[in-house]
Amino acid sequence: MPHLPAVLDLVLALALAPLLPGLVARVKALFAGRQGQPLVQSYHDLAKLLRKGAVYSTTTSWVFRAGPIVSLAAVLAALAIVPAAARQSLLSFPGDLVLLAYLLAVGRFATVVAALDTGSSFEGMGASREVHFAALAEPALLLGLLALSHQAGSLQLASLLAGTRPLAPEVALVAAAVAILLLLENCRVPFDDPNTHLELTMVHEAMVLDHGGVDLAFVLYGACLKLWLWSALLLGVLLPAGLRTLPLVGVLGVLLVAVGIGVVESTLARVRLLRVPQLVATALALAAVAFILGVR
Amino acid sequence: MESIADRLMLLLILSDLALLGTRQLRRVILIAGLQGILVGALALASHPGSLTARALWLAALGLGMRGLLFPWLLRMVARRTDADSLDQRLQPYVGYGTSLLLGIAMLAGAMALGARLPLPASTPSGLVVPGALFTMFTGLFLVIARRKALRQCLGYVILENGIYGFGVAAVGEVPALVELGALLDLFLAVLVMGVAIYRITEEFDHMDTEKLDLLRG
Amino acid sequence: MDSSLLIWAALLTPLAGALLVLLARSPRTALRLSSAAGLASCVLAAALGVAGFEPILPSAAGGWLRVDALSAAHLLLLALVGGTSSAFALVYFGDEIDRGRLTPRQARVFGSLWCGAFFALTLLLVSNNLGIMWVGMEATTLLTAFLIALHVSRESLEAMWKYVLICSVGVAFAFMGTLLTAAAAPAAGAPQALSWTGLLADASRLDPNLMRAAFVFLLVGYGTKVGLAPMHNWLPDAHSQAPSPVSALFSGFMLNSALYCILRYLPVADRATGGGGWPRELLLGFGLLSLAVGAVFILFQRDAKRLLAYCSVEHLGLVAIGVGLGGFGTVAALVHSLNHSLAKILAFWSVGRLGQAFGSHDVARMSGAFRASTVWGVGLLASLVALTGAAPFATFLSELSVLRAAFGRGIVFALVLASLALAFVGLLRHTIRLAWGPSEVEPRRLDDGRLDRALVAVTLLALLGLGFGWPQPLLHVAESAARVVNGEATLAAGGLR
Repeated sequence: MPHLPAVLDLVLALALAPLLPGLVARVKALFAGRQGQPLVQSYHDLAKLLRKGAVYSTTTSWVFRAGPIVSLAAVLAALAIVPAAARQSLLSFPGDLVLLAYLLAVGRFATVVAALDTGSSFEGMGASREVHFAALAEPALLLGLLALSHQAGSLQLASLLAGTRPLAPEVALVAAAVAILLLLENCRVPFDDPNTHLELTMVHEAMVLDHGGVDLAFVLYGACLKLWLWSALLLGVLLPAGLRTLPLVGVLGVLLVAVGIGVVESTLARVRLLRVPQLVATALALAAVAFILGVR
Repeated sequence: MESIADRLMLLLILSDLALLGTRQLRRVILIAGLQGILVGALALASHPGSLTARALWLAALGLGMRGLLFPWLLRMVARRTDADSLDQRLQPYVGYGTSLLLGIAMLAGAMALGARLPLPASTPSGLVVPGALFTMFTGLFLVIARRKALRQCLGYVILENGIYGFGVAAVGEVPALVELGALLDLFLAVLVMGVAIYRITEEFDHMDTEKLDLLRG
Repeated sequence: MDSSLLIWAALLTPLAGALLVLLARSPRTALRLSSAAGLASCVLAAALGVAGFEPILPSAAGGWLRVDALSAAHLLLLALVGGTSSAFALVYFGDEIDRGRLTPRQARVFGSLWCGAFFALTLLLVSNNLGIMWVGMEATTLLTAFLIALHVSRESLEAMWKYVLICSVGVAFAFMGTLLTAAAAPAAGAPQALSWTGLLADASRLDPNLMRAAFVFLLVGYGTKVGLAPMHNWLPDAHSQAPSPVSALFSGFMLNSALYCILRYLPVADRATGGGGWPRELLLGFGLLSLAVGAVFILFQRDAKRLLAYCSVEHLGLVAIGVGLGGFGTVAALVHSLNHSLAKILAFWSVGRLGQAFGSHDVARMSGAFRASTVWGVGLLASLVALTGAAPFATFLSELSVLRAAFGRGIVFALVLASLALAFVGLLRHTIRLAWGPSEVEPRRLDDGRLDRALVAVTLLALLGLGFGWPQPLLHVAESAARVVNGEATLAAGGLR
């Protein structure tokens, strides 16, 4: 089958994604001098949640139940578009990078709407913050990808990432922008501390406070997949051409990115909420510079 | 995108964006100094074939003054007037995030404008004119959008950096006397502004130009 | 004296004076030294100005320094304004020293910066290289900054900061314009780049688009220092907070010197953009705006010196309009700049002395000038009436001439007339109150010495005399200068004249 490597990559991603949060947590524990949770903790959490039931508030409607389902579906579809280490992805056609951005947006929308549906103030607060940052982050992603596409001369994500030269200035700029967005979208320090239990400081966590059972399992799994997706994207931009043909480089690279995230989380502190738009604007600026320089 | 001049201009553009978005005064002064070094290096990179002793001296002098002397002067003023601790909550007229976004718009404008200026083809890189224009816009923006007198002075220095960058790359030969005179004037300007800021802080106990409104109408 | 030696003498005398003053011990010595040096510099400048109308133009430093009719006209104006203001400084600061209000350090600072300003202004006027001209312009900004804040106060520091920042940014723009001009010139080699004579000769070969961009930058840049609206915000503050001799120099000559820089570029830009008069139209536009803005703001001023500052904006706008109209308008504009300077320096002297008597420059407190001093009361009244443009003063005739030049252009004519009328009404209102109104403060009586009387008498006579007609020498000066501005200078032995 011509798509066999792509299917294999997708299956690997689906299977190994829950490993990433565990890896990040383990790296952080190492920095803190602790033992830390087991690497496969997320698998246990998922299994536990799938067995549980959920409680639904009377103020919610079908939107609340649909939220986690739609967002998981969106991430799965998006994962099919992103190639692992510059090999062909399962879903690849000209313009697919726009579809990627919009699928991520659909996922975000579903989560936000579900949060608003609960009528609770914490969820609403998290939703408003999420959308505020997204207003700056989404153009950044699009501009960055478009800058790369202009350089590669193609609107297809797979060939886009295949043609990048990591040491070229534009690519470096886009890589920096993608790195910042990775931390933002996946609820990492310095934007959002995943371990916080204070609702007032949450962004992503706050939106899913009321989910339970299978819904929460979907949310958790979706988050793992999203982390895998973004890591694969960053890897695709940064990977030098020579290393792309190595076996399993896609998986190893993503795991390496996860380790990197752990290091970043351990060394940086969470920034004030008021400064977050500034940082995201930096990502937007970097992507815009890459785009403007590429288009001239 | 391969020549040294291209890379220098890219760094210059990034430094401008950094200046727009940076909040801490010490870092702003540092980046302004780095910019001075960048345009000085640009002067050297612009004349690869005909690097005379005179050109070398002038470039070194420019680099030294813009990259080292002015930041040192301004840091002295900042320290003497305790600028960092003077009312930290002073918000600029345009916030740092908005400044960054406006900076992107200014960059696009500078690119468009640079493409229209019919400069001779001897410019070392296609990025020089837009980069210099963008630096000028950034400097002007900082003069208008910032409240603290020291930051306005920095905006002026950045404006001059941009003009120098433009001159160095777009204009072939400017008489040495004129260059030296311009450098001397710039040095005097920074000195005068520094002393003025010092006096203002002594008299007013702040350097918030928003509050310099006794003279009205 | 050999003309090139004269140029060097005119440049080095104020420089020497500036350094010499720093050695003075007592304030009175410093004041006398600086006034003497100022006067000497102005005498030399006048001599140089006269030499500028000889068949062979003075030049030095291999053509880098050169005095043609335009430079000469302005040198004569500098001599007039600077010389008389140096004499006035003796009176003004002498009074301050008598009352113990001037420290030795302040006197030294004033003296050296005053002479330094003369050096920079002279350099500006005699340089043939546009880059050096720019250096001189920026130097005047920086050297005069601390003159504004000679007496440190909150207001004067605020005025100094605005002055330094706005004018430096403006002059930076002018530098950009200068660089663009250099870029527009066909590759001429380092020493020739930015030479005015060279640029004028080659003007038709300059790139028109670059020259257009350059002129815009130059007009906005140097226009900031002229006080053209909307870049005039620093002017009322700086001119009102500076001590009166300095205000007189500012309004009487420094604004004109910035306009001189624009006038230098006018023929070059005009010829480069195809001779359609596009640069003049731009200048005309700015002039109209300044005239209107000045006239409007005069109406509701409460401080006498701020009033005079806005009056400067208005009159310099009129001069810009005259130049913008071209032809006879340029001649009228140049004569008007002389008349305005005469009236303005007398006004600033009067307000300064009367301010010393009343202890304030507020119009409400300064009313009833004749109770403080007859001489300066007359000076104030006469100068203010002259500034309104009333007959029989010189300003009436020159304003009328500019209006005549605008005759063919309906909208311009109407706008100028309306603005002048507005300014007339506004100024007259203030004048009447200042001369005869009831005052809240009882002034101290000033001793009117011989120098006071001489200063007022000379300027008043000049203002009245020029009101009846323009003597031939004045016309000759104005017409020769206008010929340079209109680009009608022709090549003759020894360079363009």
